[in-house]
Amino acid sequence: MSEEQLTEGRPGTRSRMSVGQILRWLGALAICLVVLLPVVWVLSISFKPPQEWLAYPPTIIPVEATTSNYIVLFQPGNPVGGVATMVSSAEPVTQALINSLIIAPLATAASVLIGFFAAYAVSRYRVGGTFMPFFTLTTRMFPPVAFAVPLLVYYRILGLIDTRLGLILMYTGFTVAFSLWMMKGFIDGVPRHIEEAAILDGASPWRVLFTITLPLVRGGLASTALFVFILNWTEFLFALVFTSREAITIPVQVSHYVGAVGRFYGPQAALGIVASIPVVVAGYLIQQHLVTGFTFGLVRE
Amino acid sequence: MGEGFILLKGLRKEFGELVAVEDLELKVQEGEFLCFLGPSGCGKTTTLRMIAGLEIPTAGDIFLRGERINDLPPQQRNVGFVFQNYALFWHMTVRANLAFGLMVRGAPRSEIEREVGEMARWLELEDLLETKASRLDLSAMQRVALGRTLVTRPRVLLLDEPLNNFRPGLREIMRGELKRLQKQLGSTMIYVTHDQEEAMTMGDRILVMSAGRKVQLAAPRELYRQPNSLFVAGFIGRPPMNLLEVTYAREGDRAFLRKGELAWDVTSLRSTIEGGLRGERAVLGVRPEHVLPVEEADRRGLENTVVTGKVDLVQPLARKKIVDLIMDGTLIKMVVSSDFPVAKDDQVEVVFHPQETHLFDKETERAIYNGLS
Repeated sequence: MSEEQLTEGRPGTRSRMSVGQILRWLGALAICLVVLLPVVWVLSISFKPPQEWLAYPPTIIPVEATTSNYIVLFQPGNPVGGVATMVSSAEPVTQALINSLIIAPLATAASVLIGFFAAYAVSRYRVGGTFMPFFTLTTRMFPPVAFAVPLLVYYRILGLIDTRLGLILMYTGFTVAFSLWMMKGFIDGVPRHIEEAAILDGASPWRVLFTITLPLVRGGLASTALFVFILNWTEFLFALVFTSREAITIPVQVSHYVGAVGRFYGPQAALGIVASIPVVVAGYLIQQHLVTGFTFGLVRE
Repeated sequence: MGEGFILLKGLRKEFGELVAVEDLELKVQEGEFLCFLGPSGCGKTTTLRMIAGLEIPTAGDIFLRGERINDLPPQQRNVGFVFQNYALFWHMTVRANLAFGLMVRGAPRSEIEREVGEMARWLELEDLLETKASRLDLSAMQRVALGRTLVTRPRVLLLDEPLNNFRPGLREIMRGELKRLQKQLGSTMIYVTHDQEEAMTMGDRILVMSAGRKVQLAAPRELYRQPNSLFVAGFIGRPPMNLLEVTYAREGDRAFLRKGELAWDVTSLRSTIEGGLRGERAVLGVRPEHVLPVEEADRRGLENTVVTGKVDLVQPLARKKIVDLIMDGTLIKMVVSSDFPVAKDDQVEVVFHPQETHLFDKETERAIYNGLS
């Protein structure tokens, strides 16, 4: 009896999938292809030996898969793919990896923290009127190169060139405008009445800030942090200009895989894959908060 | 009477160009249930927020028990406030919400537990104590909002349209609950609403506000019987009072209010009218329940000018009917008992209850007399 029902049910389920639904699935698939293809391509190249990097016609699956691209990252003396002429002049990736893992999170934490407090002041106390919050955006209105030369002079005087602190300060400064504006949006979304209720209960402004407002914008804080972290993690221009050896970051390291005969696409791709891991992990960890962060404003009022 | 529990003197609040509250004088008695009534934007919520300390008055003074509290921060006023949208701490459980006020004030743990437990039992929230506030239904949210305010035993409880989000049936129940609660606690309550029925059923006294000003402060029955202005007359009572534009005229030693062919003899009120009326244009007001069919008026021995109207619409209610009459192009609503025979397009003869008419000056909109005859 039950088996009959099962076999009967099957065509029914199939017929419920309308043409429109099939088209929607195909559309989603096409978008996924466009988004994922570069990632798959980089992953593919990272396992290819040099002769396959630019092979025509291209293949997705490496013909002679190799891990040598990854080994070269840590032991740059090894010739890439066993080809004697392809020796990278790059330093081992360890230094850049450690630098990035220190600089990006610290700069992110500083930026989001400052951004949160600034946004609270702007949102609740109208600090700076309408001009000041807008003015913070000017750091993003000019091409970053325009800042490079004067900053280079400051950094020379302050001895911040090629230091982690130098990059942390710079990244904090350049992303704080984003933090402020994103957090302002989230804080504006917290009804003022909730804070007023806490005040009437006798809570001090600091207590209101930490026990009421902060928990309510936790999701927003997480989204802002992820966004700023990605900016910091992938920043190239300033890292290139303001570091030389000690404080180089991963994006700069990627540019170092060049030999006498051209670019080393394999190691570059391998480092790209390695570098994307922390971002993916971070995104995954805060995913749950992202959801609450984006829907909070919709649920109430 | 004395000083009054809460005393507002010349209170004024401006938001930029806008004057939200203007020269408000008010004395609230201890244990009183006072309603602020008015259309939205009339300054009632702003006044409430000034009493709580959430807005700083532009001018004027606020006294609480004889003490001037203008400069006292809201944290120290010991004033409870229930917000229109409840303002619960969504990220906390019901228990944490209820405990917040006591915790902030540094009450000992055992006391917090006892008070929260008691409050939860009383508001029937015991089963919901561990539920997050964001998952509650409206009625529970309302009870939590009340509970978290009451748990600190405020000297004054301010409520800003707390029943707005309730469906009609539940709203009437909650009105009763609130009123009972207030009597039980003996606390002083100020209740803001734009719903005249709510104010009439709940308030010991009602402050009617319009455009930032006090219009009339009186007990519900007095507001109904003796509105001091056209605004109050039109705002209180449903269906609203019929308002007819009339002209006042002396004819020899007699006096009349005229509207087209109709004339009401007001000779006996001559001096009152002439004392209050600036020009000759006035507004005659009569409530729908005081528009009587001629037969009924005769039976009760009430005499007045007979008005003839054509029935335009009959709206039956449970025990009454609302009848729309058209008289010379003017709409007159009347409320009659449901057994009164009437159908659309009937000609109906009615009289205005002679002791229940109101006269207002058309220019100043102030009342000249209420229900005298």
